[in-house]
Parts: sequence; C-alpha cells; structure tokens
Amino acid sequence: MQLIGTSRTRAGRYGWLAAALCMAGVLNTASAAEPVSMQYPIAPQGSYKGLDVQQPIEFPHDIHTAVNKINCLYCHTYARQSKVAGIPPTSKCMGCHSVIATDKPRIQKLTEYWTNKQPIPWLKVHDVPDFVHFTHERHLKRFIFDNPEVMNNLSVDTVAPVCAMCHGDMRAKTVARKDKPMTMGWCVSCHEKNGGPGDCWKCHK
Amino acid sequence: MELTMINLKLKRREFLQLMGWGTAGATLAGCDLPTTVTLEEGKEEVVAYLSPEEYAIPGVGVWYASTCAQCAAGCGIHGRVREGRVLKLEGNPDSPINHGKLCQMGQAGVQNHYNPDRYTSPKLRRDGALVDITWDEAWKLIEEKTGAAANLGAGRLAWVTGTLSGHQAALMAAHIEAVNGKHYGHEVITPAVWQAVNKDLFGEAMPRLHLSKAKLALSFGADFLGTWLSPVHFSTEYAQFRKAPRGILIQVEPAMSLTGANADLWLAIRPGTEGALALGLAYMLAQNGVAAPDALQGVIGDYAPSKVAGITGVSEARITQLAELLRKHAPSLVLPGYTAQGQAQGYETTAAIMLLNVMLGNVGQTITSGGEFPFPQLAAKSGNTRDLIAFADAAHNKAHDVVFFYGVNPVFTAPAALNLADRLKNIPFKVAFTQFPDETAAQCDLIMPVASYLEDWGTHAPAYQPDGVIGLQQPLMETLYPGTPGLGDALLTLLKARDAGKYGAWNNYYGYLKQAVTSLPAQYRSAGQSDEAFWQSVLQKGQLKVEVKSGALQAKPLSGFNLSAPATGGDYPLTLIPSPRLSFWDGRHANLPWIQEAPDQITKVVWDSWAEIHPATAARLGVEEGDVLEIASEQGAIKVKAFIHKGVHPDAIAVPMGQGHDDYGRYARNRGANPLRILNPVTDAKTGELALYGTRVKATPTGERQMLVKAGRDNISQRGRKLAATISAEQFRRTEGV
Repeated sequence: MQLIGTSRTRAGRYGWLAAALCMAGVLNTASAAEPVSMQYPIAPQGSYKGLDVQQPIEFPHDIHTAVNKINCLYCHTYARQSKVAGIPPTSKCMGCHSVIATDKPRIQKLTEYWTNKQPIPWLKVHDVPDFVHFTHERHLKRFIFDNPEVMNNLSVDTVAPVCAMCHGDMRAKTVARKDKPMTMGWCVSCHEKNGGPGDCWKCHK
Repeated sequence: MELTMINLKLKRREFLQLMGWGTAGATLAGCDLPTTVTLEEGKEEVVAYLSPEEYAIPGVGVWYASTCAQCAAGCGIHGRVREGRVLKLEGNPDSPINHGKLCQMGQAGVQNHYNPDRYTSPKLRRDGALVDITWDEAWKLIEEKTGAAANLGAGRLAWVTGTLSGHQAALMAAHIEAVNGKHYGHEVITPAVWQAVNKDLFGEAMPRLHLSKAKLALSFGADFLGTWLSPVHFSTEYAQFRKAPRGILIQVEPAMSLTGANADLWLAIRPGTEGALALGLAYMLAQNGVAAPDALQGVIGDYAPSKVAGITGVSEARITQLAELLRKHAPSLVLPGYTAQGQAQGYETTAAIMLLNVMLGNVGQTITSGGEFPFPQLAAKSGNTRDLIAFADAAHNKAHDVVFFYGVNPVFTAPAALNLADRLKNIPFKVAFTQFPDETAAQCDLIMPVASYLEDWGTHAPAYQPDGVIGLQQPLMETLYPGTPGLGDALLTLLKARDAGKYGAWNNYYGYLKQAVTSLPAQYRSAGQSDEAFWQSVLQKGQLKVEVKSGALQAKPLSGFNLSAPATGGDYPLTLIPSPRLSFWDGRHANLPWIQEAPDQITKVVWDSWAEIHPATAARLGVEEGDVLEIASEQGAIKVKAFIHKGVHPDAIAVPMGQGHDDYGRYARNRGANPLRILNPVTDAKTGELALYGTRVKATPTGERQMLVKAGRDNISQRGRKLAATISAEQFRRTEGV
C-alpha cells in the first residue's frame, strides 16, 4: 500500500504538468489526470541478440517460473518499491534449497557459497547508462498493480509477459540474456504506444 | 539508527560483496581493480546481499545524521546512503547552526571522501622515497619511537592539528598529558585576534552575535556570508536581518568579499586603516553627543574626518554619513573581519571596531554573552597562527623529537619566511596522520592514512555556538581503506599503549564515544530512557543540545590603546590581500574538483588563481585581464594572472588563498599561486598572530598573457539587451534609504 501512496504523491506533484502536456496534445492516451482502462501493454518492437553470459551458477529461470510457477516478484521483490529489481539475497534461495533439490550440483554450489558466507558474484546483463533514470517501481505500477488484467488473475503467467517487454520471456531461459535493444528509441516507441511520458527530464534527470 | 554494517565482523572483501546492487566498477574503485563502468553484458558484477537488511532496499536511499568537518563551524548534516555508499549531503534542519542549509564546501564533502588521491596504506620514507608498509609495522614503529620505552623527555613529542573539539579534543589532551607533550593548533582563517579583544573587553572570547536583531550592520571586511566564523549560520541570520524592516548592510574592506557584494553600500578602504575609520566614526559620534568609552576618550581627538579621510581614502562626506546612519539605526552591529584583524596593529584595529559597539550601546542588544559551555574539556580549541610561528621556532630550536600532524598542512600555509620545510628536518620522526599527499606529508617520515570525516566517529562543539550544541559525527559508510583509523581511534591506540588499565576497556573509539555520551548527566535524556535508547536518539538527531549558562555581557575598560597609520608608497606600493574564499578555504579544499569547477563568487574564475587589481592600478601598470603579473614582497614572488575590477582598493592587490599547491593530488597540484608563501613574517604585537593582510608588495607585468578562464565571459556587457535590469547607485540608495 505504501507503494501506491508514494506514486499518488508523485502523480499529484506532476499532475499539472501532465495535464498541460495532454492539452497540448503531447500525450494522447494516458495521463495522471485521466486513467485509461487497463489492458495488456503493447510491447515495444525490436530485438537484440545478446551474449550468452557465463554466470557463477547457471540459474534456471525456466524451472522456477514455467515449471514451478513461482511469481517473478517473489524473488525480485525490490522491483515493486525501488528503481532496481534487485537480485534475491542468498538467504531467500536457501529458504527453499536447504531442503529442495539438495543433490543437484547447482544447488550444492549455491550451498557452498552460503556456507562460506560468500555472496554470489552474479554478472550484470541488463543495464542502462547513468544518465537514464529508469525505475522498476513506476513501470510495475502501470503495467501490473494498476492493471486489472494482471491483478484479477495474478500468477507468473500474467506477470512474466510484463517483465518480458524488456527482459524477454524468462519462462523460456535459464540465465538472463539481453533480448531487447534497450536503446532510447526503443524505450520511446513503447512510451508512445502506451502513453508513457514524453518529456525529456522524466528519464534524463 | 546507526549503520548496522559497521558492527558486522566482516572482512573487507566480504563487505564489498554484501553491497547489493553496487556494481563492481563502483565498489572496487578504490581497491585493487581498475574502475569498470560499462553497459556490456557480463562485465560488471552485481552482488546480492547474503541476508537482506530490513531497512536497506537496493536503489532506495536512507538518510543518516552526522556533522560536517569541512571547516570548524560544525554544521549538522544528513547524508544519503544507498547500498552502503554515501551519495549526497544536505544540512540538518534541526541544527541551530545551519538550519538545514549546507555550503558548497559541505556539499563537496563526498569528493573529500571518494577522492582518488587518498592514501590507502601506511608508508615509510626510506632513502627519500615512500615505501608501503603494513599497519602492524606502522603502529609498531610509532610505539618504538613514542612509547614508554622511548623515554621521551618533557615536551619532546608535539601534535600539530587544526581546530579540535569534542571528545577528540579530550583524548588529545589526555595523550599530550600522558607523554608530557605539546600541542599546536594552527588555522590560517582564524578569528584569534577578535577573540583576544573580546576576552579583554567582555571577559569572554566568543560572545553571541544577533545580526537578525540589528537595524544596521557595519562590517569592516567581516565576510560573514562567506568565510567569517560560521558562514552558513550567519546566512540565515542575514536573511532575517533583511526582512522588513530591512536592515542596512554597509561593508568597508580593501577587496570585495561575498558579503561586500551583497551590501547596500560598499566602500573600498586603504588596507590596514580600518582602525582609523572606526576612530573617525567614534569622533563623529562623540561630536553628536554619543558618549565615548574611556579607552577612546584621549584617542579620538586626533581622528577628525578630514584627517581620517586622508588616511583611509574614505571621503569626509561618507564618514559623516556613516556616523549619522549608525546614530539613527540602533541597535546596530559593527564587525571586524579578517582583514582588520590581520594587521601589525590587528589588536588595536579590532579593539577600535569593537569599541564602536560599546559606544553605540550594542552590547547586550546585538552582542550578548556566549555563556559558559558546560563541558570545558569538549569546548573548541581553535587554531591560530601564533602556534604556527611557535612551532616553526620549536622546530628551529630542535625542541621536539617526534611530531604528529593531523588535519593541518602547515608547510603549505606557512609563509616561506618561516622556512618550515627546512626546519622540519630538525625533527627526527615526523608522522602525518592524513588522507592526502599534501605538502606537509611530503616532509614526513611516516604516513598514516586516516579515515575521512564520513567514515569517522566524533563529537564537535564548534567555537561559535549560536545555541549550545554538540554535533555528533557518525560514519556514513564503512571505511574505504581497511585499517585507516579516525583521529579518535588513533588517539585511543596511542593511549592504550601508555595506559592499558585506563583505556584498554574500549575496543575502539566508537565504544569510547558511546560510553562517554551515555554517561552524560540524566538531564540530557528523557525520563526513564535507557542508555541504548538515548544513544540511538542522539545518533538519529546527529546532535545534542546543551544548556549554556549565560549572564549579562558587560564591557570592561581597555587600556594602552594606541594606533598608528600604516606606511604607504615606497618600493612596495601595494598591500597584498590573501583573500579567503568559501571554496578553497585555506587550501584544504583545492583538491575537490567541484570546488575548482565552481566559479568564484566575485570573479567567476574557475580552476585557477588570479590577482584582483583596480582599473587605475592596472592602467598605471599597463596591464589587462590575463596579463601575468609578478607579485613580489621582500620574501619572494608569485606569478598570477591579472583580474581587473573596481571591487578592490587601488592600493591593494587581492589573491585568493588556497591555490598554488606543489602537491596535494591531481586536482590541486601546480594550479595557481599561493599568496601565503610571500607574506612578511610580521605579527600583531599584542596577540602574536601573523599579520596576514599587512604585507607590502609590488606588481610587475611579465609580458606574458594567458586567458583567465571564467564562467560568463564579458560578464559586464549585457549587449544592449537588459539581461539584468539595473538602476543607478544614487537611485538605489534613495530607495534603500542608505
């Protein structure tokens, strides 16, 4: 609930601007002043062939999501309240894996990190430059928490397509690979189609 | 709340790996790997917490309270911490000193902390070159040279520090006592002369000033918005002062300061003649029936406006006008700045200015008692220049075997005439407790890197106390370089070696400080509050309000008052004004790129030094802006580019203090010139303070010209577009009533 409160404050603060831009025809579909009926977003076009990154442990996103139906936000829990989605703390992995699949080599490696109190040195795959202010919090509010289609039927299969807009379908991958170009034009194409803000300083501040 | 991470027993490497989304590039910036910042996949590490901290959300900042240490004013700060790193500093709104504001030096504090030129490990000088040694070796060496077994005689060990206060000052005193040593406190930018006058005149060195209550402020070069006493505090006082009914600010100084630029009336005065003007005003006031204090009775007869105009260069009409304004606008506040204090007759000059306050009835109105600080052992021990001279003499006389430096760079700030670098060779073991490779460290035998103020514990009781307060300083993040002690920890280590029975109880300075704070009398906490709850509340607030008992301030008679006019003309026709700035300060902030980059408040120059000269002086010398001048005193010469403007007296040449470092890292080195180098070693007779603003120089064009880089070239021309609307000075004076 805190999240929504925060977001409302922000909408209140900049609402006048959004309204002004709306009148000027800059924004055509959505604005803070007038919510549109929610539906699945129109995914941005464009693809990218990313590198296969050798992670310290080849974490199987597919087993967790497609097979075991664990919601993305169960592990990437910071995404709803921060600009970053966050990597789950090792303690969260061990919450299950102290008993589940303990005979698997990847879990044994995980347990070794945990026993040695060594955090896992994951390698970063998705990033935007420092001059871009991207926040997961705002995007999740728009496309998940304010979206009845997701919220009325909350499961990994309604959430994952939202994440997939930028990260590709994680239900079909082990470790992350960059599948989208993550360029400004690509961001803007989505903002245009889904009524995101079009002013420069929203992202460049 | 304190940073829990600090208490975790973790190795350095593990700590780094704990730091959430901090990228490898950022977290390892000061470590063994080169900085890597890239958008490429699979290049940067992104390391999760082992176990999440309840309050720490990656990407979301948490603010902690602490105390600024960029100058001695002791402003309260809040620091934004994200993923274990401090990112932004702001003023603490609850602080009675700065009321939530923070100056640019305070803002640039993060660049002191993250500075790439910090020492990371102890170094020992062997055959002239510094070699890395381990922390164990370093402490062992110090123990060998200064421990009980070294059997140092009385006064053989000396500490040279900047202004100290709080529990660090108490521990320092304890160490000095334990080794029977000596302490020198040195600051270049110091109100020491004013404090001496106050002591004699009011019986206390630091009375409280109420600018907000004054109807008129007459400042003899007191740059209270920039560099004087507690500038951020006086900026808020000034805002009150300017509210309706608007107070009148008159600034009289040889070179325009930030405060001067804000004055209703700015008057250039011949350097060193501030005392004569003060006496001239006293004369005019006496003529109009205001009773003069005894000390002035026999003196002011000689200071008729016609004579004073001749001495000061301020016209008779102006003197009459100023006296009239002072008489009509009561209460007023008359302030002596550094330029008035830093004279061969600094004491008399300052006394003449302060006596105007007595004469005008300001004592008890805009100047009240500063009161008695309840914990004298924590009160500020302000640095001065008298101690610098005393230390240089002691070094010359081989009076010390060991010297420790902390928070001070005397080799840079001492005039060349004191010959300090050479004299230091007489001291066999010199230890620099320092963050940076500065000029003093370059002369030292052992370098002990210390924590930045954002990594250190401490308490601060600034000398100027608008309302009794002890600022609490807590680390805003784990130390970047393992092993680097704060001052408190260094002192505790030294004291433990001397007296394990007394000091062995504390593992670290944090423990000492926590016990010291929780041992304060019960009146400082709410009823029934536990030690832990009280300590947490102090940490949360970043400060502790203390009750200061204050009585009525009474002026005492001064005696032996005698003032003569300084020399003019001769081989050295100009007076050098090494003007302090709310940027480089005494040179300590010249290694902060933000400070170098910020345009100077008066000249808009960046990344450089300059010499401010009056257009008439420039015409006489035949120079234009950017012409390189050689400024020579009897003690040496510096080369500086000319900056020509009217905000300087024709007999003065002003060069900002703080540039001209030979060392001190990549941002400061070989940039501009250091005017302190060429000062004559003349002191004020009464206080022994250096006459910083009394050196006569000559300026000669070298024939070389370089562009003076400044923000807004041609900044006087508006290209006929009325970019900033103006009115004439006469019209302004009519509307502003000056």
